Amino acid sequence: MDALKRTLKEKIIDTLNLMDLTPDDIADDAQLIGGDFGIDSIDVLELVVMIEQDYGVSIDSKELGAKVFRSINALAEYISEHRTK
Amino acid sequence: MGASRKNRQVYVTGMGIVSPAGIGVEATLEALRKEVSYLKPVTLFEVPGPGLPVGEVTGIVSRETIPRAHNLALQAAMQAVKDLKTPPDAIVLGCTTGGITLTEDLLRAGVTDPERFKFHGTGTVAEWLAASLGCDGPAITVSTACSSGAVALKLALEMVRSGQAQQVLAGGVDALCRLTYHGFRMLQVVDPMGARPLDRNRAGMTVGEAAAMLLLTGSDTPPKGAMAVFSGGGLSCDAYHPSAPHPDGEGAIFAMRRGMDDAGILPKRVDYINLHGTGTRDNDAAESKAILAIYPEKHPSLSSTKGIFGHSLAASGAVEAVVSILTLREGLLPANVGCSEVDPDTGVSPVLYTEKAQPEVVLSNSFGFGGNNAALVFSKHSTGARTERETHGQRPIRVLGSACISGAGTTDDTLNAFVSNKVAAGVLDEKNVTSGLPPRMIRRLRRLPKLALSMAEAAMQDTNREIQPFGVYVGTGWGPLSETYAFLEKLQRSGDKLSSPTDFVGSIHNAVSSQLAIRFKAKGPNITTTDGDFSFQQAVFAASLLQDESPFLLCGVDESHEPLSGLLDASVAAARVKADGGGALVCAPGRSGAPGPVLVPAFLGHVHSPDEVIRVLGGARAVQERFAAIFSGIPAAHKATAEAFLARFIEFTGFQGSVIRYRDLLGEFATVSAVAVVMAVRLLQDRNLPAALSGAGHDIPLQGKGILLLDLGANVSAVEVLGQV
Repeated sequence: MDALKRTLKEKIIDTLNLMDLTPDDIADDAQLIGGDFGIDSIDVLELVVMIEQDYGVSIDSKELGAKVFRSINALAEYISEHRTK
Repeated sequence: MGASRKNRQVYVTGMGIVSPAGIGVEATLEALRKEVSYLKPVTLFEVPGPGLPVGEVTGIVSRETIPRAHNLALQAAMQAVKDLKTPPDAIVLGCTTGGITLTEDLLRAGVTDPERFKFHGTGTVAEWLAASLGCDGPAITVSTACSSGAVALKLALEMVRSGQAQQVLAGGVDALCRLTYHGFRMLQVVDPMGARPLDRNRAGMTVGEAAAMLLLTGSDTPPKGAMAVFSGGGLSCDAYHPSAPHPDGEGAIFAMRRGMDDAGILPKRVDYINLHGTGTRDNDAAESKAILAIYPEKHPSLSSTKGIFGHSLAASGAVEAVVSILTLREGLLPANVGCSEVDPDTGVSPVLYTEKAQPEVVLSNSFGFGGNNAALVFSKHSTGARTERETHGQRPIRVLGSACISGAGTTDDTLNAFVSNKVAAGVLDEKNVTSGLPPRMIRRLRRLPKLALSMAEAAMQDTNREIQPFGVYVGTGWGPLSETYAFLEKLQRSGDKLSSPTDFVGSIHNAVSSQLAIRFKAKGPNITTTDGDFSFQQAVFAASLLQDESPFLLCGVDESHEPLSGLLDASVAAARVKADGGGALVCAPGRSGAPGPVLVPAFLGHVHSPDEVIRVLGGARAVQERFAAIFSGIPAAHKATAEAFLARFIEFTGFQGSVIRYRDLLGEFATVSAVAVVMAVRLLQDRNLPAALSGAGHDIPLQGKGILLLDLGANVSAVEVLGQV
């Protein structure tokens, strides 16, 4: 699980081009959306595409997105439960 | 101006519409009476899985070599001008997708012949209408996402009010394409049940297509066949987010208030509001808040008609203008089709069944990505609106700061090359483009908005003072090509399953003007114009028409993209060196006697002889006396006709000054004219035309004389750059 969390942090930084962040800057339980990282609604949708491509997990509504992208912990948990890749 | 002008109003004297509800005004009226939805699963192209509902136009004859939007627009235009004996004086069209339906097919087929892409440009639809109708005036294209049609109508209103044009054909068009279908799907804002505006269970919009056109006529008394008075329009920008509306509808409130002020009415005079009402959770919530802010006690009758037609994007503002005029003419209030249980959280009560009524004044809202807002007012009789402006001529624009980017670098590097008669054309390294911009601000952006932000920052610094710009006017020949190409390429690669929502939001032409608005908190009119080599000139004209007392940004920008630039722009294809960049100006309205430099947009249109251009410049002698140099834009693809025109212009005026073909130095790209304007501004500030550039063997002092920017090719435009007003 820790390896998945680390990979997710790297992928988020890469996908959203958060050049001033490193994986260590993102705490596992930190608020992802609307928090200090400046991640907004378009970013979430961009992450939805990344998650679908890389893990085969579909997050097809804003409500589900808000839940899944609450934190790295929530995201990692959802992916490990539903992943097909 | 004489007293007779006091009663001059802008009347709607013709209407045309092609929508999913049918072809023509009568079919549209029938649809409003029937209260049914025309949203059905997509058939225009194949999609993986079950197709989402869309608003498709049926029953039009399409021609294979002409894109769908061009066909839709021409049908609507022909209806609107059917009683007109002479062509309209000008055309103003809102459009976002241009010929992309055809481009998508060509790219997928691997076609590399630029000739096949000649109808790609968003501005080609208006040009197609101008050519088809024989209009030799300006054919302006406004591309501000989903508010385009309404913004185009407001611009046309000001053209007629100013006296520049007597009759203007204006409206909007967009054809359904993969880019918009999948783009909105990737944003998760499409309702799989079809749009249900204001419904408690609404789950998004329905992407559609349509064309709608109004013929506007300026007259002291209601002309024959007058259908309504176009009483006013208000524009604003949220300056908040690239795609989401301001949650409290702040920009929407501002646009509606400005629209009513412009029409000379108080909110209580409005009898019906046609909502933007897309059916997304966010739009309907924010728009309702805006309505309640203006009407805290009782709001007028209101409804969204997007449950009937879908959301035809750039056309929707014009479609809903037609609907609004029908409510006045036919005495009905259209039902908010699709809403079965009104969302109590919105706090508004829409018209649920089409009602008989006698509205006198109606307001129509249109909002778009980039927080781009427009609210139009139509009325049965004159509302006592502000009528014709005091001047017939173009109002001057005073330049407070300027900056540019070329292959040679930023402003000073470009100017050094230019005044030494050295080639500055090229593609500036990305690092140098973004060196002054915070990484967070540009993390989601590709090349075009970065170029614009960088130039605008530099232009603001060049003013040496604190300026709060209100309006933003951007001309771009091709819009964000990197984003558009990346979106379509990824979509195709995924079997039409996925693409980047960020690229979709970034692909709209007004992505640049919205970034500028957000950066500089510019909450006024936010206009993006596009028409190939004349895109920047159209922005200058729009700024001159719409400027009020506040400072504004004026910018022309294009990016070099492989492979699209060479496929789409024949002059780029013919160029030896790839080039891009543009210019940005911080401006204020020019008042008489104020120190310069100033821009005066003197002429824009389709003419074969220089006579008319020389006339508006004050005659041959005035051209000789007023200008020290002509900076002429001769696009490579139009070299023969443009050179012939220039030769006649020089012969007819007897002009003896320097003639500089600026594309030879600054490069071949659509908005290189913006770089040329910045060069002219800087030379006027130095009051000197250096020897290497003048061609006279010595420096030429510019005291009192200006520089004429004469752009030739598919259109003709003349912009005066003068030392003072």
